[in-house]
Amino acid sequence: MVLVYEFVWRVLHVLLHIHRTLITLFRIRLRNWNGQLWSRALATLLVPIALSFPKQKKLVPAPGKRVGRRYRWGADGKSLEKLPDHIGLLIAEEEPRYTDIANLVVWCMAVGISYISVYDNHGVFRRNNSRLMEEILKQQQELLGLEGSKQHSVEFLNNGTDKQDNQVLSCQAVVKVLSPDDGKLRIVQAAQQLCSAVEQMEKTSKDINVTVLDSLLRESKSTPDPDLVLKFGPIESTLGFLPWHIRLTEFISLPSHVDVSYEDLFSALQHYASCEQRLGK
Amino acid sequence: MSWIREGELNFIEKLSANILKAGPMPKHVAFIMDGNRRYARKRQVERQEGHTQGFDKLAETLRWCLNLSIHEVTVYAFSIENFKRSKDEVDGLMELAKQKFIRLLEEQENLEKHGVCIRVLGDLTLLPLDLQQHIARAVVATRTHNKCFLNVCFAYTSRHEIANAVREMAWGVEQGLIKSSDVSEALLGHCLYSSNSPNPDLLIRTSGEVRLSDFLLWQTSHSCLVFQSVLWPEYSFWNLCDAILQYQLNHRPLQKARDQHREGQALQQHEADRACVADLLQHHGNGKPLDAQRRQEALLNYTASREERVQDFLGALQHKRDSFLTDLTSQAALA
Repeated sequence: MVLVYEFVWRVLHVLLHIHRTLITLFRIRLRNWNGQLWSRALATLLVPIALSFPKQKKLVPAPGKRVGRRYRWGADGKSLEKLPDHIGLLIAEEEPRYTDIANLVVWCMAVGISYISVYDNHGVFRRNNSRLMEEILKQQQELLGLEGSKQHSVEFLNNGTDKQDNQVLSCQAVVKVLSPDDGKLRIVQAAQQLCSAVEQMEKTSKDINVTVLDSLLRESKSTPDPDLVLKFGPIESTLGFLPWHIRLTEFISLPSHVDVSYEDLFSALQHYASCEQRLGK
Repeated sequence: MSWIREGELNFIEKLSANILKAGPMPKHVAFIMDGNRRYARKRQVERQEGHTQGFDKLAETLRWCLNLSIHEVTVYAFSIENFKRSKDEVDGLMELAKQKFIRLLEEQENLEKHGVCIRVLGDLTLLPLDLQQHIARAVVATRTHNKCFLNVCFAYTSRHEIANAVREMAWGVEQGLIKSSDVSEALLGHCLYSSNSPNPDLLIRTSGEVRLSDFLLWQTSHSCLVFQSVLWPEYSFWNLCDAILQYQLNHRPLQKARDQHREGQALQQHEADRACVADLLQHHGNGKPLDAQRRQEALLNYTASREERVQDFLGALQHKRDSFLTDLTSQAALA
């Protein structure tokens, strides 16, 4: 009997994998068409085909042109009810494509988001920090043109505490590259610092509370916690992304960062704009 | 039993359960039971009724988890942020909790038979004293049971939990039980309220919200997150199966990520121990450089003594927590 169940389980998982692959294939093929309505209809058909269970919040990406809407990006940002102050781009895929990530960063800047963090759970971006930054500057030139790049200046925050409160000029964005070391390890380091202060009798254990820990974990006073994290890739997990800072962060999943379009990003932002935060009340 | 609904799965449910169990199953599932109030609005009943139905759904879900051989469940019952709600609602929730804990204590035999261990995670001192006492009695009474575990997060937020863990480690330093250099990711994990449980494999949030709301932020860094749009009081066995299916699809990559993280942690600890030993040798040595073997010995000795210190500290911490609960129960007995 057990063998029968195992067999059925395997069949079920094969079907699910096929289902997933079909979705990805269609996504890539439809990207080259411009039939938005048609693609949405097909995608909607495919999604519930194998299962009839209610699906979780995953976006069905729409195909779209990349450049050409450049001048509308700023207006798009203003048209939304709310825009995140700090967006996190969590790349949960094996092979990062720097150009696509750079595009995402530039679009986020153009739409009006002030703080952008890029994260992967292997620390690849951190190690290749300069390559990513070069790519971002390059894409900024390409997507925004010379005029646009002057308007939207970008500041790269290197890791190491940036104590000075940056003057946030209009359209200045701050880009930060994060790795798992910025998560739990950072919290442990802050804990060691506090315990060391207690050892030196500079503090008592009773002085330690959420506020004290929070101020140690805040890179600079002006950096807000991430309001929104866009997760790219099939893995449904935060994979160690800033555990302390994500208490109220909204998570929106996108299938992949490879060949991601502006429309994909914008529909995620629209989803974010429509969510209601009750903050416990 | 009021907290775990009696009953078995029907034929189709049993069949599906057996099929799912052919694959990897989560051992510990966490639930954010969201949507009670929206459910009440939808059904046009009082909010309090929504919460009561929410509790009934919890009892049913615990039954399904046992049927699926999931032996540990953690639920987010009441956040410290929820104290911001209207006094009526908060009082209503406290009253509901009190009734449920009193009822639980009346079912001691059943609890023993099913081996249910109840733990309450959170800052209990924020709750009304009578509720604290009932909770303490329930926790102490079921402490030795070990067949299945229910962790209820009450007056809880993850940030408070982490800050509390840091405070406990600082207390350990004050008491001379540990040094500040002993602070590590593993030690912090052992100081959390959830220290007696493994990290959740699967976290499910209902009602369509896609955030963690300050719940188990440390413990779920490599858990499978499933956000479902169904309202909690309407949760079904099939919703649970869907979530488990998601877990199974994510199982291998998450396992890999978790293993990588653990390896990184072990390396960091090793490096930290090395640095401490080098420091010690510099301060206490006689100036002559030690050979590799002596250094290795010193490192092993240091690691062993650090681990012993940490064990003693964790024992003292457990004792402190147990005493807090037993003090409450003796207060309750006297009252």
